[in-house]
Amino acid sequence: MLKRFLTRLPIGLLCLIGVSASGPQTAVVQVFDQRGLPVEGAVIEIPPPPGSTRPVSFPWRNAMAQRNQTFVPGTLIVPQGSTVAFPNLDTVRHSIYSFSKPARFQIDLYSRDQTRSQRFPITGTVALGCNIHDKMRGYIRVVATPFAAATDLNGRGSIDGLAPGTYRVTVWHPRLRGSENEAVKTLTIAPGTPARLAIELR
Amino acid sequence: MADTLLHRLRPRTLRARIAALFMALLAGVMVLTVGVAGSGVSLFAHAVAERDMAANARVFEQLIASRAGQLRDAAMVVARDFGFREAFATNDRATLGSALASLGERSGAEVAAVVMLDGSVVTSPGAPALDGHTLLPALDAGKDSGVIDLKGKLGLAVAAPIEIPDLAGWLILAQPLGTRDLEALGRLSAVPIKASVAPATTLAPAQRALGLGEIGELPSPQGRQLVRLSALPSLQRGIEPRLILSHSLDQAMQAYRALNTVLITIALVGTLAGLWLAIRIARSISRPLSQLAGAAQRYAGGTVSKVPVTGDAEVADLAQSFNAMVDAIEERERQIVHSALHDGLTSLPNRRFFIEKLDRAALRQTPASRTMVVFVDLDNFKIINDTLGHPAGDALLRKAGQRLQELFPDDMVARFGGDEFGLLVTGLGETADPASLARKIHAALNDEVDIGGRMVQLTASFGVAVGPSDGASSDELLKNADLALYRAKSEGKGTYHFFEAALDEEARRRRQLELDLRRAVRDGGFELHFQPLYSMAEQRLKGFEALIRWNHPQRGMVSPAEFIPLAEETGLIVPIGEWVIRDACARAAAWPGNLSVAVNISPRQFSSPVLAQTIVQALAASGLPAHRLELEITESVFIGNVERTLAMLHSLRALGVRIALDDFGTGYSSLSYLRSFPFDKLKIDQSFVRDLGRDTSAAAIIRAITTLAAALGIETLAEGVELESTMEALAREGCDLIQGYLVSKPVPDAAVPALIDRLAGEARQRKTG
Repeated sequence: MLKRFLTRLPIGLLCLIGVSASGPQTAVVQVFDQRGLPVEGAVIEIPPPPGSTRPVSFPWRNAMAQRNQTFVPGTLIVPQGSTVAFPNLDTVRHSIYSFSKPARFQIDLYSRDQTRSQRFPITGTVALGCNIHDKMRGYIRVVATPFAAATDLNGRGSIDGLAPGTYRVTVWHPRLRGSENEAVKTLTIAPGTPARLAIELR
Repeated sequence: MADTLLHRLRPRTLRARIAALFMALLAGVMVLTVGVAGSGVSLFAHAVAERDMAANARVFEQLIASRAGQLRDAAMVVARDFGFREAFATNDRATLGSALASLGERSGAEVAAVVMLDGSVVTSPGAPALDGHTLLPALDAGKDSGVIDLKGKLGLAVAAPIEIPDLAGWLILAQPLGTRDLEALGRLSAVPIKASVAPATTLAPAQRALGLGEIGELPSPQGRQLVRLSALPSLQRGIEPRLILSHSLDQAMQAYRALNTVLITIALVGTLAGLWLAIRIARSISRPLSQLAGAAQRYAGGTVSKVPVTGDAEVADLAQSFNAMVDAIEERERQIVHSALHDGLTSLPNRRFFIEKLDRAALRQTPASRTMVVFVDLDNFKIINDTLGHPAGDALLRKAGQRLQELFPDDMVARFGGDEFGLLVTGLGETADPASLARKIHAALNDEVDIGGRMVQLTASFGVAVGPSDGASSDELLKNADLALYRAKSEGKGTYHFFEAALDEEARRRRQLELDLRRAVRDGGFELHFQPLYSMAEQRLKGFEALIRWNHPQRGMVSPAEFIPLAEETGLIVPIGEWVIRDACARAAAWPGNLSVAVNISPRQFSSPVLAQTIVQALAASGLPAHRLELEITESVFIGNVERTLAMLHSLRALGVRIALDDFGTGYSSLSYLRSFPFDKLKIDQSFVRDLGRDTSAAAIIRAITTLAAALGIETLAEGVELESTMEALAREGCDLIQGYLVSKPVPDAAVPALIDRLAGEARQRKTG
């Protein structure tokens, strides 16, 4: 049930983008690294403009699954204070730990089709690892704005409901050079053209 | 200057030259060998050292890699440890520091530290500080091991990333690159190699100039060294660590130096041995040569010198050949001496040898020890040679010599050449009788001898001179013996004569006469007188006989009887005879009518090959018709070769001249001559004519001759007619012509025309009367 939901989620997102593209308030941002390659898994956040009353919520589920010894999705944006579920879809057991400041926690090994959950009350980045699978990396970005998106394979991310204009934008990526792997940039959103953001990766 | 020095240094003798060449060659080969071997050894040593060093460099790199691997393994374990990561993440420095301290102890690393992403460093308490910022570039680039600076010393460091789960820093473990490792490396090498690690900046300029991986030869306080540089990985900015491997070349070459010494020793010993051998070989060649040279010099000096036959085959051959040559030369010299002093036919000593011996004998002779010289001449040798042939003549000569030698076995018998022999008897005492010896010689040489189974009468004449009375010198003795022989010959054949002083006087006179005769031939001292030849039948003058007269400047007219034999003997008769022919022809050509001129031809002249030519030339020059020239020959021309004489006569007859036989009746008077040649005229010798009145036999002979001549169609002429009665008798006996004082004595040419006139007048009177 959940699996089916998750597979349908991107289709739903696409539909959403398609609908909002007809509206004037969908901004597409494309992120490149210093070599000009699109960067996947970067998170773009724009603080809510003054007067914005839009609630901090996202169309995706607050869940970070483990499948094929990988965190899915690798990068998850959740509103501040949300509780994130960690369903284990693998045949092996996983444990989850985080030494990140916003949330230090450790979930002991748990089996397939079990779910653990954790609440994230503080904004920031939570890097997740599996104690027994060094390769597994997952990132939860706890935000206090609804204008946030993670970039896809082509480095694109879409943010709804923003009027054209110039914004301060915070870009995060696990390998981004900078304090807390964040960089603050200025972004001009014009309708019809994707805005480009350049970041420096390690 | 240099040239003369070189010249002086150049070996003179063959021996020295061979030895020097040998030696030079050997020394050259040795030097080359030692040089090539030495440089080969050196190259080999270099190559070995280079290979060792390259191998060692790899070994060292592996050593470092393996040590780094060990350290890294330790670091990785810790960096992944959850507790360690938790301590790191919670930034619990105290815990972290103690954890690093225990890690350092456990891993044996001197330094254990954590480098944060921003370059800050956490180390164990009391551990040396690290400059994290200089490590960051290498760490960021993902390098996990390399050389870093540890308080001035170089050390090997490894880095393990600390991931929580993202990279948050590096755990660094470091160890100084101590001498222990380097020594261990040295021990691994086959050759003693010193290894050290130093930053590139601290290298000596010579080392720095060396490329990485190259091997260079650099001087050092310990002598020459092979040095190889290689780069080690660095983990710290500003540090370029270099591994320096050095190998003492002198030490490496030590072993080879001993080899070189052995080589040089072998070369020296070999060269010396070669020198010794070269000198020996050279001596074995040159000693026999100098022996030969010495022997040849002695031999040239006159000593018979041979060399000992020793040594190797070629040398012995040479010596043998030399000795054989000496023998051959000896033998040939003996033969030459023999043939120079001996006669080839009879093997008797020759004239030269005889005279040599006579010279010595003449010096020694005294009245008590006299020398007898006998000069022998065979009388009939020429006839035997002509009639029986040369082999018989040779045999006769040998027999004659043999007879003499048998008679005088201890004395010298020599052949002088031709049919002349000499006998020299020395040491004749006062009582010895040369006359009895002469009789013995005469008996031995006038006897029958057997020549090829035929008995031949040997006759010989000889003259004897006995010194010192007949001559003090060899020349004199020989000359006097010759004079005595001449006298004996002139006295008749088969006789002998002792030398007398008168002989010498006669000989002197003869020599003078000969000289005068030669002068007369040269200067034209002769003249012709002419005696008429009168035909009784025709009562008229038929011609003249030309008679030679010699008007001697001192002695006046000399009789032909005196000088003609001398002219015959000396051969002057030929030029004289030619003159006679030419002059007679010239005179006769001026005579009226067809008066002929008769010329006497001597036997010697007759055998001259130019006679016919002379006659032709005389006839041509004078214009005298040939039939008016009459040649008078004597029977003696037939002695010897009859056929040749006949051929000669026919050829003369062919010229058209007339030929008369002179002095007929005195010699052989062989009738066969008359048969074999048609003479034009016979001249009856005056001895028959003179006796005509007294001796009836003379008349008979004359009658026989005239009858014979008439039968053969030959004219007859009587010589020496002085009386009218004789002329009448001759006319009765049928003689055609007369010559003599009755008609006229010989007159000079100037008186001839008057004589012709007178005789013509008398003839007219007689006809009319």
